[in-house]
Amino acid sequence: MSRSEHGAVPAAPAPEGAGRASGPGRLLIAVYGVFALAATARAAFQIATKFDQAPLAYLLSAFAAVVYVVATVSLARPGARAYRVSVVAVTTELVGVIAVGLLSVLDAQAFPSETVWSAFGRGYGFVPLLLPVLGLLWLRRNRPARA
Amino acid sequence: MDPFFLIGVIVCAVSAVLCIGAGVLRRPPNDITILSIAAVELLLLAYTVGAVIRQLAGEPVLGEAWEFWGYLLTALLVPVGAFWWAILEKTRWSNFVLGAAGLTVFVMLFRMEQIWDGVAGL
Repeated sequence: MSRSEHGAVPAAPAPEGAGRASGPGRLLIAVYGVFALAATARAAFQIATKFDQAPLAYLLSAFAAVVYVVATVSLARPGARAYRVSVVAVTTELVGVIAVGLLSVLDAQAFPSETVWSAFGRGYGFVPLLLPVLGLLWLRRNRPARA
Repeated sequence: MDPFFLIGVIVCAVSAVLCIGAGVLRRPPNDITILSIAAVELLLLAYTVGAVIRQLAGEPVLGEAWEFWGYLLTALLVPVGAFWWAILEKTRWSNFVLGAAGLTVFVMLFRMEQIWDGVAGL
């Protein structure tokens, strides 16, 4: 079952939990990092320039930014505690993108299609909807040894 | 059409295709993929110099200038960060990381072009 990464012998057994930031996890964390950067910049811009136009949406923008930052950092860090934090962050992200996606479709007034999660992340090629699903699958495959 | 923008998106697209292709072929990062991301960074530096000269020469950004520069300065960090993250563990996945960086800069160039031309958004 183990289709090892051919040739080179792995130097040492990976420290506990390090598997999360390895292999496909590196790409996952990189994409999370890009979204953390994008969401933070966008929320800062919106709140600084036009907060009173749609306060709820822009507060949600800021919330999304925090979730992405926490998810990025906790996915990249080893250990059982970081694992639990990342499960919470990625789950929050999934709930958020679905809830905001639904609300933005039902009440377009409160959500001008301007937050990362509006219309299920359509403005970002639906990557915001795909990312937490892949994240949770990845976390499930990389559970720490002791539950 | 802005030549800086055109050349920029072509360089990013070529880099992304090379890096993702190398990842699909299960190659670890090599000279080609690393040089291609270096080309993206060089392109961005040239773009920055070009943008300074054009703005000083009286070709203003029609949108928010500070937003444009925010994008540009952030974009300059993306290939550097991706390179660092990619070489910490050299597997095929590092190439996908480099490819993701190329795609990110590609999208950011589009957004910068919109801001320069004063197309509303965000």
